[in-house]
Amino acid sequence: MEEHRSRLAYTFYMLTLFLCGAVLFLIGFFPASYSVAENEQSIPIDRPTTLHGEKLNPPPPNYQSFILFLIDAFRNDFPSENTMPAVYERACLKLSLHVDIPTVTMPRLKSITTGTLSNFIDIALNVGHTEQLDDSLLHRLKRREAVVSFIGDHTWVHLFPSEFTRKVANNDSFFVNDFYEGDQSVTNALAEELEKTDWKLLILHYLGLDHIGHVEGNESPRIKIKLKEMDDAVKKILNHKHMDNYLLMLTGDHGMADGGGHGGNTPAETSVPLYLYSKNCSKYTSSTKRYNQIDLTPTLAVLLSVEIPTMSIGCLIPEMLQSLTLEEQMYAYFYNAHHLLNRARVKFGHDRVRRSDYYHWYQNATLLHKQLLTPLRVGDGTGASNVHYQNAKLNYLRVAREISAQLSESLVKFDYGFIAVGLTLTTASTLHLLLSVLFLDLASEKLRLHSFNVAQLLLSLVIGTLLNVACHLLDIVLTSSLLYSLLLLLPIVASIYLSIDVIQALIKIALPPLYARRLKLSIPLPTPLLLCFAIRIFTLGSSSFIEFEYKTWYYLGNTLLLLTAFKTLRRRITKANVELDGRHLHKIASACLWQQRKIFVVLLLLMLMRYLHRLSAIKSTLMLFSLILFWARLRKFTNTPQTVFNGIAFLLVYCFRGLNGQVKFVELPSHMVSRILLPVLVLFWCCVALVFVLGYRTALPQQNSGQSLLDERPKSNLLKLLQTNMTCSLILVALLYKVQNVVLLPTLLITLDETYKLCDAYGSTARKFSVRVVHVYKIIMTIVVARMFYFYQGNSNSLSTIDLNPGYMGQTSYNPSIVAFFVTLNTYSAEIHSFLYLIVHTLRADLRSVGIIQLQPPYARAVDTLVVPLYAALVLLPVAFYLCLMLVFRYHLFIYSVFSPKVLYDCYTVLVFYLVFLSTSLYFKLFKHDA
Amino acid sequence: MVSRFDQQKTKHQLFHVSLSLATILICMTYMQYRRNWAHLGSFWDSLIVPIVFIGELLKVTLARFFGRIEDGVLTTKQRQKKAAYFTPRELLGGLTLQFLCTLLYAFICIILGAPVLANYEQTFVLSLLMTLLTVSPTVFLLGGGGALQVCFCEKPDFITKCEDTALHLFKYNALGGILGAWAGSVVAPLDWGRDWQAYPIPNVIGALLGSALGNIYACTHVLYACGRVYMSKKRA
Repeated sequence: MEEHRSRLAYTFYMLTLFLCGAVLFLIGFFPASYSVAENEQSIPIDRPTTLHGEKLNPPPPNYQSFILFLIDAFRNDFPSENTMPAVYERACLKLSLHVDIPTVTMPRLKSITTGTLSNFIDIALNVGHTEQLDDSLLHRLKRREAVVSFIGDHTWVHLFPSEFTRKVANNDSFFVNDFYEGDQSVTNALAEELEKTDWKLLILHYLGLDHIGHVEGNESPRIKIKLKEMDDAVKKILNHKHMDNYLLMLTGDHGMADGGGHGGNTPAETSVPLYLYSKNCSKYTSSTKRYNQIDLTPTLAVLLSVEIPTMSIGCLIPEMLQSLTLEEQMYAYFYNAHHLLNRARVKFGHDRVRRSDYYHWYQNATLLHKQLLTPLRVGDGTGASNVHYQNAKLNYLRVAREISAQLSESLVKFDYGFIAVGLTLTTASTLHLLLSVLFLDLASEKLRLHSFNVAQLLLSLVIGTLLNVACHLLDIVLTSSLLYSLLLLLPIVASIYLSIDVIQALIKIALPPLYARRLKLSIPLPTPLLLCFAIRIFTLGSSSFIEFEYKTWYYLGNTLLLLTAFKTLRRRITKANVELDGRHLHKIASACLWQQRKIFVVLLLLMLMRYLHRLSAIKSTLMLFSLILFWARLRKFTNTPQTVFNGIAFLLVYCFRGLNGQVKFVELPSHMVSRILLPVLVLFWCCVALVFVLGYRTALPQQNSGQSLLDERPKSNLLKLLQTNMTCSLILVALLYKVQNVVLLPTLLITLDETYKLCDAYGSTARKFSVRVVHVYKIIMTIVVARMFYFYQGNSNSLSTIDLNPGYMGQTSYNPSIVAFFVTLNTYSAEIHSFLYLIVHTLRADLRSVGIIQLQPPYARAVDTLVVPLYAALVLLPVAFYLCLMLVFRYHLFIYSVFSPKVLYDCYTVLVFYLVFLSTSLYFKLFKHDA
Repeated sequence: MVSRFDQQKTKHQLFHVSLSLATILICMTYMQYRRNWAHLGSFWDSLIVPIVFIGELLKVTLARFFGRIEDGVLTTKQRQKKAAYFTPRELLGGLTLQFLCTLLYAFICIILGAPVLANYEQTFVLSLLMTLLTVSPTVFLLGGGGALQVCFCEKPDFITKCEDTALHLFKYNALGGILGAWAGSVVAPLDWGRDWQAYPIPNVIGALLGSALGNIYACTHVLYACGRVYMSKKRA
């Protein structure tokens, strides 16, 4: 009865709509800049010059020259007496700064220069596009025609294209294999710059430390060498003859996580040191108080004697102002409090500010300040005036801190229009897909989910247009141009259309018409699978479960495998026992157990994989062993010449790792190594290409015409092509994977293989055999196993665990698309290949081995009608649910540190699945006819 | 339609369930008395395993006690089975079966995420407890071979009516224990920083609570049946 209509096109539409919805949601949830809507003109730009009628003079700059010495990923525990003696001992003041998330370079630079918190989505912009800033310290300096010089990473130049008087930029800030060259050129340019004396502010940005962290981790011996180099550079500045009246600030833009990456929220990433150096400073004790990184901006503005940037919401760092006179300090505190009060007025309105506590504190402080002015000017700093001074200072600081906290909370702004459209679209498309898969046999006739209805489209078009116009009139949705408003109509109409479908279908399911049969699910849903899936979905609501998501997957995956194995075992024993009636039961039991030994071996292997990171002591042996195992596994999918080239490719992978010094290999002099490295990679690529070409050659039509009749089991071209694709990408991944991770590849194939066998056995021992149960089991098992291996590999829901190394494999420059491709392939290899493996397995499945001979409809036919749509639905469902959760949790304390990175990961997972699905279904479209 | 009300069976069931609940209550009281739960995973220091062991033995004795009444109406097969209970072969078989089960539970614990070697004592205690909750009562009641047959045969014919009642209740106990121990792990990843989140404690407590819930579920079934009989009698 089953129709054999391919559902790939339908799945494709749903996935596309889901992705559109997800993008809209992300745009609404992380508006690209939150400062646009505020009216900046209402904040006075100039410094205040009067206080209750008394005239105030903005103080002149206290130092002649300022140097901002930034070391990328400079973590709090890096500078110490041993690693950086000069830096550590000659510092006048040692502070610790708290860095906000996201802990990546570009948002941090924005924060340092503008004094405002950055948007979470900046993390995505970090890599590619950078917008130019409107206002910052550097803009203010330029307006005063001060000379600002810059040496270092070119991210600064993107942010400030015209603000620097002189600039020397390194253009390869994302090429992480460069440890020394870039820094060396910065140091060389620094020497030249020190000879000139005209600059007021010199900014240095060293990237080498960050690169070492990304490639080798925070324990790498090279870190010490790098810190020594930084120490020498600082010493060079401090000892230079032209430097008399200067202030040197040594800090990092963000820290470094324990694995060496950054981008997350661990204490190691979010705190950086701030060391200050100047001539003839009195030695201050290092302060234990922690300040925010944004506090640096107003403090620097005061010291540089420029206006505080408009967007700044930081407080002052009192320790840094010690060199000013009391009157100047008073003025600084007053100025910052005044600035913040103005910002608060714009943000919250005059009335609310007037009624607040901080306004009274401010009034208090200004009155005291006014009283103090005369004694301070006369120079009488004793007794009562000192008390007044402390009182005023405390009040000013209190005002600043309070307003700063309130402003940083209120910076979060959501665009509910976009969120609503995005959420409706994702939810509706997911439900649509899910319903159409669950009611597979009824979907087209009874529920009418697949048929396209013009009247419904027109109706939704009308409603959509009305909604769109209404939203624009009511200012719920803000778009910058008419074109965008018109484009927005598309997702609105699509979501209304889908919602109507879904609601109709749900009503039909809930209230089955009396004359018809009860609507039955076409897909059997075994309780344990359903339960595990439900648990997985509901654990998304807890931040600890998201942080330790791998634990959930290991637990659920192993539980499912164990449960299925034991159920199958019990059924087998019971079946065998029916004839024997209880005699020799233990013999039967042990025989059945022996039959299933492989699945227990797989379970042990999965347990071992948890301890993968501890196996680095034997990684050479492990890699060799796993490459051989992998080669043997891949033989199943390749013909003889391909197998040979496979072997050569794996040999080259080992050579490559050996030449890089990561595994045991012949010792070679370093100039030889660098000369051999490139040919090895080229040879490797040749092998991959050969495997690819050989695989495609067998599928050519003219070759196939005569032999296919003689073949025992004619394989379809489709299967051959898909196998070749999978083999090639698996070989590529073997090159990209970390050395100790290579063992995961053969283990993944073995696990999937054994799991499928187990599912077959489980299905065939059931009282009533149903192909669909087997399919459902296999799909869910594949998803679970894929997730398990994704986490075994060292991935997590924190952005700091993304491994950037594979992106730069054998490359000499930064090429964004190649890096993105390689990093994605490496990170998501388990999920990509599990999906491909499932499809290949379903196409070549032979159920005769488990005793099922005739199947109507054929097993492999289900690929495009059941397997792919169900897989897609099960991938989308948790993501759709998670997006809804995000809306509920939008004011959660951990929304940006824990929940937001996960939402990026999830959407990216869907995107990767979408691309893999797209390429696979393309093959189906092209080669289906000769299947 | 109301089946014939079996007074003996209902009595047996209620006694059995109250014994299980009492065992668990004693365990809870003991835990309350000790305050610090860190010792729950140690073999020599914790009294949970002995308490549960005694509880299971009492349940088996109860089943024997109620079984005494039907001694006269046994079939030959049941008689044979009963006679063979104390033979060394059966005893040895039973012990081996329990030992293997403990090993199996330890294996499952390790597969599901217990540390492989570091906490072997805790793993052993947990698997011992699981064995006591699931396999042991059946083995004590029927011997090793009998327990295997109960597990893998449709309906063995040597089981007396009274044993069947007990087995039915054991099933609830076992299922509740397994599910409880499995679900106990839910607290492991949470960041509450409590000391009772350490490995075997939530699972041990989960197993106890789970078996308690299983028994309560069984109890409600029995009471519901009683209530229906009572109502129909009253109506008549």
